[in-house]
This record gives sequence, C-alpha cells and structure tokens, in this order.
Amino acid sequence: MKRFFTEFAINHPWTVIVSVVLITAFFAAQLPNIKIDTDPENMLEADEPVRLFDHEVKETFSIYDFIAVGVVDEKGAFTKQQLTDVYNIIDEVADIDGVIADDILAPSMVDDIKQTDGILTVKTLLDEAPENDQQAQYILSRIKENPILRGKLASDDGKAIAMFIPIESKNMSHRIAGEIQEIIDRHSRGEEYFIAGLPVAEDSFGTEMFKQMAISAPLAGIIILLLMLMFFRNLKIVIAPMIVAVVSVIWAMGLLILTGNTVHIMSSMIPIFLIPIAVLNSIHIISEFHDRYQKYKHKKSTIKATIGDLFIPMLFTSVTTIVGFVSLALTPIPPVRVFGVFVAFGIFVAWFLSITFNPAYAVLISDKSLRKFGKADDEHGPLSRLMHVFRNFSARHYKGILFGSAVVVVVAAIGLSLIEVNDNPVKWFKRDHPLRIADVKLNQHLAGTYMNYLVFESDEPDAMKNPETLRYIEQMQRHLEKNRIVGSTTGLTDIVKKVRYELFDADPAMNAIPDNQDEVAQNLFLFEISGGNPDDLFKFVTQDYDKVNVWVQMREGDNNSVMSVVKDAETYFAENPPPTEMSMHWAGLPYVNVVWQEKMVGGMRSALLSSFAVVFIMMVFLFRSPLLGLISMLPLSITIMAIYGAIGYIGKPYDMPVAVLSSLTLGLSIDFAIHFIKRSKYIHEKTGDFKQTFPEMFEGLARAISRNVLVIAIGFVPMFFSSLVPYITVGSFFFAIMMVSGAVTMLLLPAIFIVSQKRLFPAMQVATAETKKEVVNE
Amino acid sequence: MKIHRVLTVFAVVLMIMAVNGKAQDNQAEELMKKAHLALFYAGDDGAAEVTMKIVNSKGKERLREFTMLRLDIAEGGKQDYYTYFKQPHDVSRLTFMVHKIPFETDNRWLYVPAVDLVKRISADDKNSSFVGSDFTYEDVSGRHWSEDNHTLLREDKLGDRDVYVVESIPKEEYKGFARKVTFIDKEYFLPLREEYYDKKGELERIFTAEKIENIEGIPTATLRRMENVQKNQYTTVEFTSIDYNIGMMEDIFTERYLKNPPREFIK
Repeated sequence: MKRFFTEFAINHPWTVIVSVVLITAFFAAQLPNIKIDTDPENMLEADEPVRLFDHEVKETFSIYDFIAVGVVDEKGAFTKQQLTDVYNIIDEVADIDGVIADDILAPSMVDDIKQTDGILTVKTLLDEAPENDQQAQYILSRIKENPILRGKLASDDGKAIAMFIPIESKNMSHRIAGEIQEIIDRHSRGEEYFIAGLPVAEDSFGTEMFKQMAISAPLAGIIILLLMLMFFRNLKIVIAPMIVAVVSVIWAMGLLILTGNTVHIMSSMIPIFLIPIAVLNSIHIISEFHDRYQKYKHKKSTIKATIGDLFIPMLFTSVTTIVGFVSLALTPIPPVRVFGVFVAFGIFVAWFLSITFNPAYAVLISDKSLRKFGKADDEHGPLSRLMHVFRNFSARHYKGILFGSAVVVVVAAIGLSLIEVNDNPVKWFKRDHPLRIADVKLNQHLAGTYMNYLVFESDEPDAMKNPETLRYIEQMQRHLEKNRIVGSTTGLTDIVKKVRYELFDADPAMNAIPDNQDEVAQNLFLFEISGGNPDDLFKFVTQDYDKVNVWVQMREGDNNSVMSVVKDAETYFAENPPPTEMSMHWAGLPYVNVVWQEKMVGGMRSALLSSFAVVFIMMVFLFRSPLLGLISMLPLSITIMAIYGAIGYIGKPYDMPVAVLSSLTLGLSIDFAIHFIKRSKYIHEKTGDFKQTFPEMFEGLARAISRNVLVIAIGFVPMFFSSLVPYITVGSFFFAIMMVSGAVTMLLLPAIFIVSQKRLFPAMQVATAETKKEVVNE
Repeated sequence: MKIHRVLTVFAVVLMIMAVNGKAQDNQAEELMKKAHLALFYAGDDGAAEVTMKIVNSKGKERLREFTMLRLDIAEGGKQDYYTYFKQPHDVSRLTFMVHKIPFETDNRWLYVPAVDLVKRISADDKNSSFVGSDFTYEDVSGRHWSEDNHTLLREDKLGDRDVYVVESIPKEEYKGFARKVTFIDKEYFLPLREEYYDKKGELERIFTAEKIENIEGIPTATLRRMENVQKNQYTTVEFTSIDYNIGMMEDIFTERYLKNPPREFIK
C-alpha cells in the first residue's frame, strides 16, 4: 500500500500524467457552469426561521432592502441649488431598472401631513424643485416637524440630505449603486455624495471578492513558485508542486460546480486555501529529494527512498488538515460546510497527486537537467546556518524555552478572554473604502443606514387600533431610542399622532395617541381620505390591523450593537407585559446577520473542539504513544492560543473569517510537529543515539520545514495589501500560522526531547548497513 | 400644364383630408363629452348605496360602504357630492363632501364624528387615491373632456358591444396618465373600458364597466372595476338602490349637514 501508488507512478509515468490531464480536463469543463451567490443571507439555511420571518415581514409590509444615498454640505445642504440637484437625481434614479420608484424615501417622493389656513393636506413634501433658498429651508423645517421623516431625510442641522432607494432584490444593489453614482456624477457640482447601506456592502463585497480572488490566488501562486525556485534552483522541478496545486484547485472547484453547489463568498476562497496547502507536501518531497539526489545519483531510487520516508508523515499531515476542514461540516452554516468539504477534497487530491504525479513527473525529467540539482549544497547555506542557530539555542536554553512557552500560554489565555465576537459586513472593507467612508458620514449626520423591523403580532383583527396597545408600542419606541445607536423609530403610532396633531391645528397637547379607538381609526381614515398613500400606511400596519411594524433605524450595523438593541426590546417586553396579548419579533438584514453570527460562533467552537479531539486520537495512533501524541499537540495548541490571544489583545473582532480560520490553524500547525517527531524517530532509528539524532534533526528535516515556513508565509505577504479585510485576515493567518508553528515546533519540541530524551529516544542498536543496502539495491 | 393640374388635385385631396381629420377630432371630442356626461352627470341628481371592495396583491380585501348623493349644478359643470360612511364600523357616521368645480381646485370637507369636528381638507392632488382605493378622486368625479386632445382610433367590438375607441392625450403634462384609450359603447355612450398608460408608455390601470343596468330609463354602470396592473391590485365599486331625479336641494351640501346627515336620503 505504502509503496504501491508511487511504484506504479514510477513505472508508468505516462499513464499517470495522461490520466491526470484527462480528469483535469473533465473538471475544467465544469468551470464555465459556475453559479455565483454573493448573498451573506445564505449563510443561513433556506428554511431558517429567522430568515423566513424576515421574508414574511418584507412580504407582509411590502418592504424592500434599501440603498442609502446622502449628500453632506457643511455650509448647509438645504439650498435651492442642492435641493434641485437632489430632486433631479431622484427623478432619474426612479427610472433605474430594479428600483421600486413608488417606495423611494426622498424629499420629492414622501408625503407631508400639514395644515395651512385650516385646510388639512397630505401631499408630496417637495413636489417641484424649490424656487429659492427660503423654500428649501421650509422643506427642512417640515422634515424636522414630522416625526416620520425627521432624521431620516435630513439632519436637524440641515447639513445632510438623505434618500433611501428601495430595490427589488439585494443582489442588484452593486449594479444599482453604480448607476446611482453615475447619475450623481452628472448632477453633482463637487459636493460630497455618499452611497451606503448593508445590501450594497454585501453585494459589492461579493463582486470585489471575486476580483480579489482572480488577483490574490495567482499572485500567491507566483510568489510561492519564485521562492521555491530560489531554494531549489530548478524550474522543471519546482513547477511540479504548482501543477499539483492548480490541478487540485481545478478538481475541487470542478466537483463543487458539478455537484450543483453555488460558489459563495466562502467557496471563492477555496483556491487561496488550497494552493499553499497543496504545495506543502511537494516542498517536503522536493526538499528531501534535493538533499538526497547528489548522494544516490539515481533518480528512481532517490524518489522511492524519499517517498518511503515521507509517506506516513505526509499521509498524516494531510489527513489532519482534512479533519480540520471536514469538521466545518459540523457547523450549521451551509456555505461553510461546502467550503470545508471541498477544501478537504482538494487536500486529498493534492496528497494523492504528490505521491503519484510528482514521482511520475520526476521520472520523466532527464538526468541531465538534474545534474546540478542539490549540488549547491545547502549544508553550509544561510538556511542551514539559521537552523544551526535554532539547534544551538534549543540545546543551550531548553529550560528557558519551556518556561517561555508557559509564559506564552498564560499571556495568550488572558488575550483569549479579551476576544470580542462581532461582525459587520460593511467593515469587511478597509477604512478608506468609499463604502466605509459613506457609512461613517451618513451615520454621523442622520438617523442611520441600518434598518431593522420590530414586529408586534396579535390574533385579533383591529387589535392595533387599540389605544392602549398603541401607547405600549409608543413606550417601547421611546425606550429603544434611549439606546445610543438607535437613530429613529417610526411606527403606526407616529402616523396617528401626526394626523391628530395637524387635525387640531398643530396643538402640541394633541400630539398623543387618543383615548378612543374610533378616533384612532378615524385619524387613519383621515390620512387616507386627505390624499395619503395607502401603501405608505401599510408599511407600518397590516390591512387587518392585527400586526404592526416599527421601523428601527440604527447608526451602527455591528452585530454587537444590533444585539444590544434587540436585548433592550426583549428586556422591556419581559418586564412590561403588553396590555393585550401579542408577540414581538425582529426582522431586517442586520438582525439576520446577528443570528448567523451566533450560529457560526457556536458551530465553530464545536467544530474546533471535535477536530482537536480527532487529531489527538490520530496522533496517539500515529506515534503509538499517548505521551508523544500529547507532545505533538503542544505546538498547535500554543500556535492557536498565541494567534487568537493576539487577536484578543489587538482588539480585532472575532468575525466570520477569523472563525473559519481556526480550522485551518489546527490543520496546518499540526503538520510541522508530525514531520518533526516522525522523522526525528526515523533519524533515531538510524543513529540509535540521541547525541547524534539531535543535531541531525536540524539538517534536512529542519530545512524542509523552514523552507515550507518561508515559502507559504512570504507567499501570502501580498494579501496584506488587499482592499478587503477578510483577505488581509486570511493572508495574516497563513503568515502567522507558518511563522509561529514553525518556530514553536523547532524550539519547543527539541527542548522537550532534551528533557525527556531517555523516554522518547532511548539508545538502541541500529541496522545501518541493511537500510543502506536496501536503498542501493533498488 | 399637366403638372399644374396634378398639383391642384393633390392640394384639394390634402384639404379634404385635413377637414376630414378635423371632423374626426371633433367627433372624438364629442364622443368623450357624451361618455363623460353619461357616466358622471346621469339625471339632475342621484343617490346610491355604494359597496367598495379594495383587493390588494395578496388577495386581502378591505370593504367600505357608504351612501353617495350627487347634485349637478350645471350639466357638465359644477357638481356637489355628499358621502356618508357606514362601514368599516369604526368610521361609521363619518361624512365627506366635495364641491367640484371643473378646471379649478375642488372644495372638500370632512366630519370626524369621534371628535365631532368638521375639517376642510386639501384637494390639490386630484390624482391621490380615493379613500385608499385604486380609484383616484378624478376617477370618481371625472376629468373634463376639454383637458385632453382626442383621436378616434377605430370602431370596434368589445365583447358583443359595438364601441368607438378613442385615444386621449393630455394637453399639458399630467401626473394621472400620459395616454388613455377609452372604449365607448355606441348605444349608451358609456365608457366600457379605459386604459391608462404611464409616461414610460406602459399600461398602468384599467377601468371596466362590468355591469350596465337600466335605472329609471338611464343606462347606468352599476358595477365598476379599476385594476392597477403594475401593483397587481384592484378595487370594485357596486351601486345599489340607485335613484335619479329625486329633487335634492343645494343646501344639503353645506357644512351644517355634515354633522347632521339629511335623513330623507340617508337611512
């Protein structure tokens, strides 16, 4: 078994290569059928109650997701010129395909309820462009007078005007935002316009992500290739791992598409994860081949000896990484499951290719082109010297290393406790991205770009005309408005009060919910009969008056902020039971995000714990020793603690990418420990004496590990400069995992070996001659 | 010489065509006037019980019942309307009065029984919804025929009825519609169907006279339907207990009667 595949590949190289080419062609043919899905809502199952309820609310109250557009002018935005621009912009925006023109919230689209000379009017706030600045200022005063519009359409200081553009479907928002920008550019005379809102952020992120994908993955590939070329100085050889990486990406993506899965934001990251992992095994093989070729001078036997020594470590490193990713299948988040399973499949492909394709490929390389391979002997190169520094340091300061590790664990544990779980798709963009700037600006001036809905439901028709019920909801609104991030709440209560106030000649005493249910009903009827659009009314209440919908506008979309408002409502509801029986539920995009985040955090925790357990059992089995199994888990545990502890100290929120990366951290950090322990044992079998084993560990083995560290870590450095935060996160993680787990492995493990050398590396008889003979005979 | 004669003939033909065209336009406007009078000015006055059903895109129904009184001050000119609401229950006794003045802003009053208050309400926008239905105020009281240019498109059949098909385009830019096509019954001159197109040229609303009955010798559309095809919702209005020429006096249509409905007409 161990040798079968490699033997076959060496003896039938063309069969292997042709098969790989054919299968790759088959999977590549699937790629054009790619179906892209950039909707973060799909992080939840299609039948997830929160999601269904959100859709139901939007359907019941005919609500659409909004794109927020705003203009800020520090000298005051309510001028004839500015308001005319806004008027003309909206006129054109209304015609964009996919915009629900009737539901646009903008000065020229909303109704104002007012009374002039004793006549009650419900009519468009700004029905034609203003003739002078006074008229523009009058519009501002009307907005401030109207609790339904205040803060939504203008800031009280008049420096900002906002427009909310409802769209048919979220995944049109990137395109529509682009068209809006175009219209703005034609009308703007240099003022600052901003486009914001969760749908745009989410949809634009999806679009930009795929662009980043097309740059980041190939770029990382090229840098990895160049680094390998630097180490091994033979293009023909180092191209092989790249082929393995690309082929495993094509197989994984091809199978994903073939099985009918959509390529979600998560699965678009598959190539960037697979390329480095796929290269890892190949680097070990080449590294070993490189160090041995000049000794054996025989291609086939070098290959066999190399694979023979590496088969078990490579198998286990691959399986542990697979376990890390397969554990993602335990999360309740469908795209994360798909991501985990197909990365795992890709890793399996890469492993299989590295023991079949790599040897077959190597056999076909002419001996001539290998003549110098490995000749520039690394034993005195800079990498070697660095490894000798590690050797001497760990030999001399092993106690210090053990103590230092303990300190790291304690310090990291404190960092872990500081981790704050939080996410906001808008913050997936860097601070200087136009969407982030828009988010800050609009939320600073206005009532907020994050729209949530608090829905009260009763079984009784007309229940929501009950004055007591309305007063209860009004108190809830006032309670929520105390929360710093709530910019405004709007409900049926506000319409009833506003109509009553205007009916009684703007008498402040009448700005309240009436005591009589018929009066409530008649106020609402008055709204409709005086020209109010019934569609506006039914965004806040059902036609049966059994459900009301309070719009809760928030200035922040961070899950924690949204959650604080959700909790405020729940606490109030629990402490102050409603006067009549009714239920209360939340809907809206920001709220949906909160729910999937909570699911993800819980899901990732169990995924990480279960894969940790599985890997530990595998290690005990691999090393046939619970003690060694335990020791092998140390570098990965310390790496995870150090990295996540650092996240706690830095104050970076534990968001979706950070959560998903925990499985990668686990799967990758164990690798070096496996190679280090397993191959140290092999070395010891040959030397039989720890005094000889110890320095030998810092030769070929350490060089292979450090080559891996450098190739992968440096390969991801360009991702630090990505415009998308999750890409920076992924890049930083790869970098950190490689550096930390590499360093920990090569410092801590030797230190432990020294301390317990008698138990782990007992002196033994060795059959050196036999081993040598076996190799030469082949 | 020959050319001269040809030109003369050509000029004459053109003149005949122009006169003919003008005559056709006059005929179209005449048809629209007749249709307008038949639908909105039947008799000198009228009273009816009205049931209005507003059905939204999800099939949810809202019901309104009211008594409607109408008095024509001048045929094709000023009219007074009085509406007394019975259903929904919580707005019963609410009354609503309109003094319609063609080419000018109407006057509208409302009596709110819960607070015993009469209020003037604005009538700036004739295109706003009439009590939350798919009918606008103007659909209820009519748009004067002279505000649009009319063209007789063709004579046709609608179901088993012979109709004139007239196209109307507002003389001044108008929010209500950019183009309207009316199917006028050749016998009764009632509009059987109206199609309203928006400024993008897309069909927005369809009016249909679903049921025509002869009431006291006057053909009357007793079941009317307005569908908003873009919003996928519709409203039906059914007229019962219709009575024409009952001798209503103008003083009924004053603020005083808003609070105290005239019992002889409202049960």
